[in-house]
Amino acid sequence: MQHGVLSAGGHPTIKMAAPRSWALWSLCGRGWSPVLPGCRLPWLRSCWPSGPLGARPLSQEKRATETHFGFETVSEEEKGGKVYQVFESVARKYDVMNDMMSLGIHRVWKDLLLLKMHPFPGTQLLDVAGGTGDIAFRFLNYVQAQHQRKQKRQLRAQQNLSWEEIAKKYQNQEDSLGGSRVMVCDINKEMLKMGKQKACARGYKAGLAWVLGDAEELPFDDDKFDVYTIAFGIRNVTHIDRALQEAHRVLKPGGRFLCLEFSQVNNPLVSRLYDVYSFQVIPVLGEVIAGDWKSYQYLVESIRQFPPQEEFKEMIEDAGFQKVTYENLTSGIVAIHSGFKL
Amino acid sequence: MATLLRRSLRPLRAFRGHPRPAADVPLRATSHGAGLLYPEHIPTSLVQKALLAAGSAGMALYDPYRHDMVAVLGETTGYRTLKVLRDQMRRDPEGAQILQERPRISLATLDLGKLRSLPEDSFGREYLRFLDVNRVSPDTRAPTRFVDDEELAYVIQRYREVHDMVHTLLGMPTNILGEIVVKWFEAVQTGLPMCILSALFGPIQLSAQSLQVLVSELIPWAVQNGRRAPCVLNLYYERRWEQPLRALREELGITEPPRRVEGLA
Repeated sequence: MQHGVLSAGGHPTIKMAAPRSWALWSLCGRGWSPVLPGCRLPWLRSCWPSGPLGARPLSQEKRATETHFGFETVSEEEKGGKVYQVFESVARKYDVMNDMMSLGIHRVWKDLLLLKMHPFPGTQLLDVAGGTGDIAFRFLNYVQAQHQRKQKRQLRAQQNLSWEEIAKKYQNQEDSLGGSRVMVCDINKEMLKMGKQKACARGYKAGLAWVLGDAEELPFDDDKFDVYTIAFGIRNVTHIDRALQEAHRVLKPGGRFLCLEFSQVNNPLVSRLYDVYSFQVIPVLGEVIAGDWKSYQYLVESIRQFPPQEEFKEMIEDAGFQKVTYENLTSGIVAIHSGFKL
Repeated sequence: MATLLRRSLRPLRAFRGHPRPAADVPLRATSHGAGLLYPEHIPTSLVQKALLAAGSAGMALYDPYRHDMVAVLGETTGYRTLKVLRDQMRRDPEGAQILQERPRISLATLDLGKLRSLPEDSFGREYLRFLDVNRVSPDTRAPTRFVDDEELAYVIQRYREVHDMVHTLLGMPTNILGEIVVKWFEAVQTGLPMCILSALFGPIQLSAQSLQVLVSELIPWAVQNGRRAPCVLNLYYERRWEQPLRALREELGITEPPRRVEGLA
């Protein structure tokens, strides 16, 4: 039986007449780019009956290893690399473009996400695909404000500070965040670099950590975080179900999953305007401001490929979350999905 | 019960995101596969072209180092003019040959060693000197993307690649003043809207002294030469490397510049 071996580019290259040989298959597994999302059985996915042999019907296996990249069809292996390139290219102008494309409304969306989260001092947050740190910085501001308010309340209620707390205040050792921590995890080095620069520029130091990691295979232990957020990141993940499972794994029991993502518009008029704006204006903005048409074309196409609110809700429930709800913002252009690990 | 059912359906749902049919999104611009007239082509609608033209014009004024914006402006506004240019090239024997053979100017296609070995006042040697002195490379021209005709895309690509030759013919350096003079010449020669706009709005950033020199001496000289010379796109430069520059200038009717521009602007 002949087998077609896929190179990383997704084209059948070598055809072997030899019987299955483990050595060769492990070779093709190693030949792929290291950016691949957690590919547990690369040799299985690489070899299947080749097309040119004859009219072989597409097996379920073959269809499952192809996915979408915007409106293009690519192999799953390719997608990770292509998405990486997109974000590597847009990283420097990411924040400027966000403001231009959404006319600043993305800031309101992110603020609403924090309001929904309503974290209290002591919360451990994991922000996945958090790249340039928008959610992390808002979280730090929020818990700091909460902590200050709590202290003011304590003082007002005549609950004197303990001697330790007064001593700490004078020694500037007091934790202004009240024990809250945020871990920003992103698969893309450029985005993390931008985030770190922003943090330095704005003076965020305490309670902030930056980790390079893949949403489908998080480098954290089980039951670690109180809240998991992923803002405008999950639609770029190759295997969304795996990312959801990982989210479930790293959350503590009682932990909350929050996802802020573009979704389906429920109003037909708004939908029409939104489509015109997305496809006519946004790539032009990308070209003029960032010199990159294709990345922004991919971004608007990837929004159309993402499952609508109800379907995504079901996917979250599949991963084991309960009390899953969603809230539409701006007529459904964006939705916040929330679930709990109980 | 419902949860169990959902759990059992999980493997089928592993592959989400079936591509939505094209009918769902009527106004998207196809960027991949069918509809591409040449490798770098990005098909654009009229609205997109208009927005691109306006945006690139604004950005080019705001940040003069964005040469890619000038290029985009040229591509989105030049369709009709490119047709006229192409037809005019077809009528000229040398121009028709260029359209047929489609020569490209890049570091890969130029034989720099041979050019360097040419006599001092030959066109090829002077061109090389221009590249060295101004520290430019013929490889910095971005490929055409927004022209919706494959031959016209070549015409504008040729115009871009020939730009450095025009600098050599006119004896203009690559500082702002030199570029504006060349743009005036090209505006008269080609009639491309982008050249006209650059020629009119480029001088905005100049100092008063340079502006005075420009208006009183350089522009009249550029316009006169532009009118007198045949279209520079019709010259098969790759065959004229050995021709002495002086002879080439005489053939085209280009006179010496009225003053040296190197120290200005």
